[in-house]
Amino acid sequence: MPDEMPTPVEIGRANLFDIKVKWQDGHEGIYPARYLRFQCPCAGCVDEVTGQRRLTASMVPQDIKPLGIQLVGRYAITIEWSDGHRTGIYPFDLLRKVCPCCCTSRTKQ
Amino acid sequence: MAVTEADIRNALKAVQDPDLHRDIVSLGFVQDVTIQGGRVAFKIELTTPACPVRDQMRDQAAQVVRAIPGITQVDIQMTSQVRPSILQADRPLTPTVKNIVAIASGKGGVGKSTVSANVALALAKTGARVGLLDADVYGPSIPTILGITGSAQISANQQIVPIERHGLRVMSMGFFMKPDEAVVWRGPMLHKTVQQFLGGVQWGELDYLLADLPPGTGDVQLSLCQAIPLTGAVIVSTPQDVALNVAQKAITMFKKLNAPILGIVENMSAYVCPHCGTREEIFGSGGARTIAQRLNLPFLGEIPLATPIRETSDAGQPIVISQPDSPSARAFTAVAEQLAAQISIRAMTGELGTEIKVTF
Repeated sequence: MPDEMPTPVEIGRANLFDIKVKWQDGHEGIYPARYLRFQCPCAGCVDEVTGQRRLTASMVPQDIKPLGIQLVGRYAITIEWSDGHRTGIYPFDLLRKVCPCCCTSRTKQ
Repeated sequence: MAVTEADIRNALKAVQDPDLHRDIVSLGFVQDVTIQGGRVAFKIELTTPACPVRDQMRDQAAQVVRAIPGITQVDIQMTSQVRPSILQADRPLTPTVKNIVAIASGKGGVGKSTVSANVALALAKTGARVGLLDADVYGPSIPTILGITGSAQISANQQIVPIERHGLRVMSMGFFMKPDEAVVWRGPMLHKTVQQFLGGVQWGELDYLLADLPPGTGDVQLSLCQAIPLTGAVIVSTPQDVALNVAQKAITMFKKLNAPILGIVENMSAYVCPHCGTREEIFGSGGARTIAQRLNLPFLGEIPLATPIRETSDAGQPIVISQPDSPSARAFTAVAEQLAAQISIRAMTGELGTEIKVTF
């Protein structure tokens, strides 16, 4: 089915800062911590009405790192960050969409 | 030449499970084969006691084995072992519950609670261990339908003890409220309650936990899908367009949350006049089946619009228990069997078993 949600098979550390996600289709992506922190879709980081990002560069420490990752139901993960932020729920499709790899956007979908 | 176990197993390979599209030998259903001269005995262990094709499979198995030369008698014992559709590691809140199914609808008043209660009872009657979680925090009606007036007890280890009724383990917000009280809560309280109802209740070993959801696509639905990996959701709808249009919104929500849709049930399908037998399609008929076909989802069955269903629900004696041979009770049983089959398919094809390893 084309509207099927992409599913990760393994989520772990690439190193102290970066998160590695292996996908069911074999794709692998490495997400730098600070980059992923900026993708946080929670209502504190993104304006719920306008959709504009509220988070600015100065608000996130340069050395931010993930402290923990948990699955949310069957569709997302939540990340506890070293700056104390932990309210973001990253659905798998968002995670796949923002994969910072070199693949074209077509294969990311 | 004496008949061997290999001969028996070979013959049984001709018997297919019609839902899983594989033969019962390679599925591992055939167990404990014993042969004494011309007498053969074995066990067929199905994936649910509510299997809709149980008798058909037994008859076929008996037939193919009896066809082996030298066989004079075939004794088949039908058993079942419900398989979990969710990996135990992925359900820390409810480690002893094998399958969790949400019963949902787009709009209210389509009979979710009546369907939930009767389907749960029909599953329990087959011998399955079934729990019913009334997650409609605002308008809990399961206590009325099941005729439960007591309130829930807290165990020594600070867990809520579900109330047992007609073989079901039941938990409801209604157990904590006085009849004239109302729950006036915002989202965070609902989230906490959903978690409490899953992890804070002594469910014990369950094959199926059915969660009767409030109508719509709101806090409770979201919290439930976040707290646990659901086996899937069942959508209840009446046949008229206005309900079906909203039902599709519920389907969209579950897709977004990656919770599989196990099927659609059409409730209040048609009214058969008890006096003259005329069939009256008050809300139309067949609409849910059409939607299911269009969206490529399983259709689990139709429940008629019948006064006895309402009467027995209001009296706290659901029709599956009080009038088990009525057409309405049989309709609920058929839906329960189709649902059990869908859950088995999910569990056996590993569609949901894809483990997401979090190594952190």
